[in-house]
Amino acid sequence: MPLGARIRSAWRTMTRQSALDADLDAELQSALDDLAASHVASGLRPAEARRRALLDLGGTESVKEQVRDARVGAPTLTLLRDIALAWRGLRKAPAFTLAAVITLAIGVGANTATFSLVNAVLLQPLPYRGADRLVFVWSDMTTAGYPRGPLSGPELADLREQATRFEGFGAIWATTTALTGENDPQQLRIGLVTANFFSLLGADAAIGRTFVDEDEPAAGPTTMLLSDGLWRTRYGADPAIVGRRVLVNDQPTTIIGVMPPGFRLLMPPDSNVPEQLEAWQPFNRNMTGGPRGQMFLRVVGRMRDGVSVDEAAREVSVVAANIGARYAEYGSAGRAFTTIGLHDDGVRDIRPALLVLQGGVAVLLLIACVNVAGLLVARAAGRSRETALRLALGAGRHRLVSQCLAEGLVLAGLAAAAGLATGWLLLKLLAAARPASLDRIAGVGLDAAVLAFTAATALAVALAFSFAPLAEMVRANLVGLLHQGGRSLGSAFHHRVRKGLVVLQVALGVVLLVGAGLIVRTFANLTTVEPGFDDRGVLTFRLALPGNRYRTQESLDAFARQLETRLAALPGVSHAGAISHLPFDNIPNWSTTYLTEAGSDESRARRADSRAVSPGAFQAIGARIVEGRDFTEDDDEDSALVAIVDERLARLAWPGASAIGQRLATDPRVTGRPTVWVTVVGVVRHLRHLSLLEEVREQVYFPVRQAHRNPMAWMIRTNTDPASLSGAIRATVAALDPQLPVFDVRPLSEYVAGARATQRFTMLLAIVFAALAVMLASVGVYGVIQYGVARRQPELALRVALGAGQASLMGLVVGEGLRLALAGLAIGVAAACAATPAMRSQLFGVTPWDPVSFLVAVPVLAGVALAASAVPAWRATRVNPADGLRSD
Amino acid sequence: MLKGTLDLLILRTLDFEPRHGLGVSDRIAQITRGTFVVKPGSLFPALHRLEQEGFIEGAWGESDQGRRAKVYRLTPAGRKRLAVERKSWDRIVTAVGQVLDPA
Repeated sequence: MPLGARIRSAWRTMTRQSALDADLDAELQSALDDLAASHVASGLRPAEARRRALLDLGGTESVKEQVRDARVGAPTLTLLRDIALAWRGLRKAPAFTLAAVITLAIGVGANTATFSLVNAVLLQPLPYRGADRLVFVWSDMTTAGYPRGPLSGPELADLREQATRFEGFGAIWATTTALTGENDPQQLRIGLVTANFFSLLGADAAIGRTFVDEDEPAAGPTTMLLSDGLWRTRYGADPAIVGRRVLVNDQPTTIIGVMPPGFRLLMPPDSNVPEQLEAWQPFNRNMTGGPRGQMFLRVVGRMRDGVSVDEAAREVSVVAANIGARYAEYGSAGRAFTTIGLHDDGVRDIRPALLVLQGGVAVLLLIACVNVAGLLVARAAGRSRETALRLALGAGRHRLVSQCLAEGLVLAGLAAAAGLATGWLLLKLLAAARPASLDRIAGVGLDAAVLAFTAATALAVALAFSFAPLAEMVRANLVGLLHQGGRSLGSAFHHRVRKGLVVLQVALGVVLLVGAGLIVRTFANLTTVEPGFDDRGVLTFRLALPGNRYRTQESLDAFARQLETRLAALPGVSHAGAISHLPFDNIPNWSTTYLTEAGSDESRARRADSRAVSPGAFQAIGARIVEGRDFTEDDDEDSALVAIVDERLARLAWPGASAIGQRLATDPRVTGRPTVWVTVVGVVRHLRHLSLLEEVREQVYFPVRQAHRNPMAWMIRTNTDPASLSGAIRATVAALDPQLPVFDVRPLSEYVAGARATQRFTMLLAIVFAALAVMLASVGVYGVIQYGVARRQPELALRVALGAGQASLMGLVVGEGLRLALAGLAIGVAAACAATPAMRSQLFGVTPWDPVSFLVAVPVLAGVALAASAVPAWRATRVNPADGLRSD
Repeated sequence: MLKGTLDLLILRTLDFEPRHGLGVSDRIAQITRGTFVVKPGSLFPALHRLEQEGFIEGAWGESDQGRRAKVYRLTPAGRKRLAVERKSWDRIVTAVGQVLDPA
């Protein structure tokens, strides 16, 4: 039979069922009449003839059933009928259905939301053309304490020339510039890029174009590419923006294009390239000619098709080795580059956190499934007599199995729908609470991959738990079941299964609770970590003094001195100071090599993060000078060059000796070589400004009057709410220079909170998941104890009748709950011990076997189990023994 | 009864003349002298399946005893089907015969 005809027949079977059935009825009736008539003809009485005719036919209903089963499309019809039957059955037990669907919706929803994150961040390719071809190139200066550093201009030229497995290399450096003229002056966070950067990345402009080689200027940049955000806020989304001339740093500049909304630069976390810059300008044409030691370029390469990351990395390493051997600047240490896939490198930090979360919600789903399996077993137990009766009346076992499966499918379908809604809601909540490191999840929706994931999860769940009740049917002992008196509360087998499920639930709850405990403890440790500065009560802002109006060092110094004096004089302000970088500000890090002995091998020197600070800066930021002195206004261009080092540098450079008075060759002006000798006048506590988790590397601080930097960040320390002073600081700056844009006005604590944001996010999720797990586990325990009490009602009533006290009865029931809980706790502790080491990379200040987390998790679950069994126990004692005994 | 034989018997019976349901089984019993007795529980499902597959078609008419009954007739597709089934049956008979009486 051709497929088309088969489908038409099947369709007819399904749609015209009643007409077909009526036809069949008439046909069989006529056959029956025929048979009866022939029996009458052979001399039987009409009634007897009719009975014989029915026997001949073999029962009209039975024949009808067989005809229906033989129809094309009949199996589908049966399934539909079973599903309709299951739906009716579930509607008749709303409490059960609601409990099961809500439980599963929590599990499926949490998994859907978490998988959406994993999918968006880890699985989906970066939003660039051919993103899998992109790699990031780091300079590896591990011996200097700098394993992931930028490259210099000439090194970019070397790569372009020598690496043949690449289509090209581009580079970016994030900095700031000022939009002047027109409205208010505005400081912009921009990226200086090589002309090929966007075409290499595979990103196009929405309006106009990105850069071409001719845009690379001989002197200052004359073209600019806007972000969608800047185009909207500053230029009112003017569609004719391309070609408009604006003043950037008082330099006439042509706008050449606008990037699309949602365009992000997904560079690795420690590349200091913010995801969302406001505009881009091209580097100078001669940028690649700068000193080899001046390393600032964040380099992206595009591999040719067919080249693997390993091959590409090997070639880049060879180039690095070549130039290391060829140029004297690299000395005996030579040069090394590391090459990593752009996507891989970008999710390096967040991947383990997301995987831990996904593991956690998988456990949550498991708990939900176990819970629903428990509910289904209870339901099957309640119906075991019905089942036995149906088997006895000749229902095929495969029919019962199919009906069980249909019930599972209907439940799973409902759960998938509810879970999808829950997941969507959760995802919105997650997106609202997202840390900056997960900024790109803002617009994440439920896409096809997520829908498939949810459907697959729900289906797996349905299959898994719909077989729980079947175990009983397969074993069903008809006679035994039918003989079970009037009681219909199921067998001891059912009860054993449910007890096992509860033990499993408690155990899984322990695993989740311990995991959440570890994450909470990690976050607590992060908040109490001593960062070397005090972020409370500090307001910060940034200023960039335009070079055309502040041409000389004297004019810069004069402005800064006046500003600092006026800021310090503001009411409620105790200290004011300036620093070139704020902690965790995501501005390209500055570092310098340093030597402690003249003539030692520069190439093997260590590096230190270098900062310029004003005399009041350490007091303003709350850093402690542990030895020597702070900078003063006398540390200026006319006096001896000095520096303050952190404890770490002092310890490494002069172990066992005082650092004060020691001399250091460094590079305060960033020329690329440590040629300036300075005298150490003070030692400051190490400032954790790049990582709260660890001391990343040494630090050296220069007086800003000797090592000028521009832009700078100013800080004021106050005993009031720092945010309340933002108006005052704007007024203070405007009084000195009304043209100067004040930007990034925010409390120092915001930067530090940003550094903890990922862990905070993980912690919130872990707490929610653990709370849900405890809730589900308590429902599970309650259910099984309540069920146990119901089964034992006559026994309990008998005990009461025989004079058992309330206390002993409570003890009896609660004891059962506690025994289950203890078994679950023991298994859970063992499982948690096995599972938590997988989280090691996510922990800070706690070991995977942190006793506190275990000591909290165990009593919490024990308490919950106790409470959950106490309620049914208390109820059991209230029963009137006469009712209990009579309830059969 | 061999699998598929029932279809062959029904198609062949209707090849002579249209018949109603029980008429088909009576005819089979008569021709085979009672060797094959097709019970209604097998007959009606087979008839309905063959009808759905388009090999026979039923219409309300009269039974032998003049009662209203559903009468089945062979369709052109059914005739082709009969030829095919017949060929494959002949093949089976020959093959089984060769096994029983090797030449």
